[in-house]
Amino acid sequence: MNVHRVRAVFVRIVAQFRRDKRTLALLFAAPLAIIALLGWVLSSSSSSSVRLAVVNEASQQVVGQAAAVKIEDALAGQPSIVLDRSVTDDAAARQALKDKTLDMVIVVPPDFSLQSRRLDILTLGLNPAGEASSLPAVQKALLSELADQAGAVLPTIDRTTVYGSPDATQLDTLAPVVVGFFVYFFVFILTGISFLRERIGGTLERLLATPVSRAEIVLGYSLGFGFFATLQIALVLAFVIGRVTVPAIGPMPEIGIGLGVKTIGNPLIAYLLVLVLGLGAVSLGIFLSTFARSEFQILQFIPIVIVPQGLLGGFFWPINQLPDLLQPVARILPVTYAIDGLRQVMIAGADLTSGDVLLDLGVLAAIAAVFVVLASATIRREVA
Amino acid sequence: MTLASPTPAASGPAVEATALRKTFGQIHAVDGIDLSLPAGRIYGLLGPNGSGKTTLIRLLTGLASATSGTVKVLGVDMPSRENLARIGYMTQADGIYPELSVWENIRFFAALYGQTDRAAMLRVLELVDLDKRLDTPALNLSGGMRRRLSMACALVHQPAVIFLDEPTVGVDPALRVQFWEHFHRLSAGGATLLVSSHVMDEADRCDELLFIRNGHVLAHGTPAELRERGGSDNLETAFLAFAAPAATATVAEEAAR
Repeated sequence: MNVHRVRAVFVRIVAQFRRDKRTLALLFAAPLAIIALLGWVLSSSSSSSVRLAVVNEASQQVVGQAAAVKIEDALAGQPSIVLDRSVTDDAAARQALKDKTLDMVIVVPPDFSLQSRRLDILTLGLNPAGEASSLPAVQKALLSELADQAGAVLPTIDRTTVYGSPDATQLDTLAPVVVGFFVYFFVFILTGISFLRERIGGTLERLLATPVSRAEIVLGYSLGFGFFATLQIALVLAFVIGRVTVPAIGPMPEIGIGLGVKTIGNPLIAYLLVLVLGLGAVSLGIFLSTFARSEFQILQFIPIVIVPQGLLGGFFWPINQLPDLLQPVARILPVTYAIDGLRQVMIAGADLTSGDVLLDLGVLAAIAAVFVVLASATIRREVA
Repeated sequence: MTLASPTPAASGPAVEATALRKTFGQIHAVDGIDLSLPAGRIYGLLGPNGSGKTTLIRLLTGLASATSGTVKVLGVDMPSRENLARIGYMTQADGIYPELSVWENIRFFAALYGQTDRAAMLRVLELVDLDKRLDTPALNLSGGMRRRLSMACALVHQPAVIFLDEPTVGVDPALRVQFWEHFHRLSAGGATLLVSSHVMDEADRCDELLFIRNGHVLAHGTPAELRERGGSDNLETAFLAFAAPAATATVAEEAAR
């Protein structure tokens, strides 16, 4: 191992990046833009109100009529509910849903009675889960209002969690994960393409005609891409955790920069996790570049390498909620361990004394080591 | 330019190969070549496309592993990573980094070869007439300039043995003359050069020629000797004279099967 040669490879990669302004912009601006967008979407979805109408199909009978009036009165006073009293029959309700002027319709069925207090909810059905997301709020409003009138006292339920807070938004739990995923994605794609260029551009042949060893090449690459990954991680973490408010100046309204996600963890440990994940991605990129003949073929690895890790890595669903057959698959994916580690650190505040975090780091390091060996092995593969 | 005096193993040949073979599946790219090339001369490797020139050079530099046979460069068994510091290899493709400037390219290869002398880097660029374009990205160089930069990168560490794979392809006649003048200066300084080409008019500039076809060395000698043995003043005709019996033999072999 010759330090000067490793340094030469490192310096060269940094110089190549410095001259490629567009890739630099992609590396730093794209994750910020996407995370900002995610933050915006997730934070404003809670403040929107649900547009609602009540259709009374039981107007022929006294109980139903009374119930419909009570429900309308109960909902009319709620802050997040906009009641539309102009829609009164099923056909108009369906049309209003199709026209997107209503989000949800409460139907009092013809057989409504004191014995069968069943209500129907009608939504459009293009996105059933999303449309039903306001259902708990409606139910709660109905229950409390009706209970008040009956003079009954409803039990109240308070949620607590071992870590973090039950009020944590989706953003708080997704943000740490997104950090890791971005670094993995960008480092993999950029190394894969860089190394492919070495292979097809004839520079790898030239490198191998010098005294540089495969390990020195892989190490130089790891340092070069590790350097940019470090900058990217620092920037993205700062954006996710920090929040700076720029006061209103003249006509400019006050703006907040950064998501200000609540975290009690040590950002340095989060950084370490992402860095080890990224180093594995460098070697994976070098390794897989052997199996590509063009940049386009590197992009074809995205659905094979990146997407399954996004789906199975615990990004959306906990690993133990996956189908039995997929659980072992998820457990060999590096992103799984990075996501677990990042959540442990940033939500639960775990540090390096935590067995879970050490296990995650250890597995990530082992996966990186395996790919370093595989990547080195492919470098001598005969080009001609 | 002063060349570090090459340090071959005493008086042994600079490049040596014994019963060298390389097969890709059914194809015998190099089919039993023996070489013993004394130092300080320019050897021309001549043959049509696909005759095995590049494969032979890759075997001699240790970039490809031989199916059988041995290679020694400067008395050291190849492949040897350390020995590569005394060997220069200019590939057919330019093999330089287009995003990097002329200076960044030369500095990178110099560092890999262990050359730390900036003056030596500047001298080799001066030699290929690129010393006024240090900050130009290789991308913005003309094809001929890129070729020159590629050559500079192969010579920056003052190698004792230099392999040049079709160095003059795509190079204009004036520059080609300069290249050859430089090759002669290098060999006068003690370096051994092996230059492959499929252009016969370059052959006369070499001290010795090796005619290659179908992975075999058809003939080896000075241009004058080969003319005489081939019975023609024209090297191209001489080459065909050597090639003809081999071709006939191959046809006969196939017919016999």
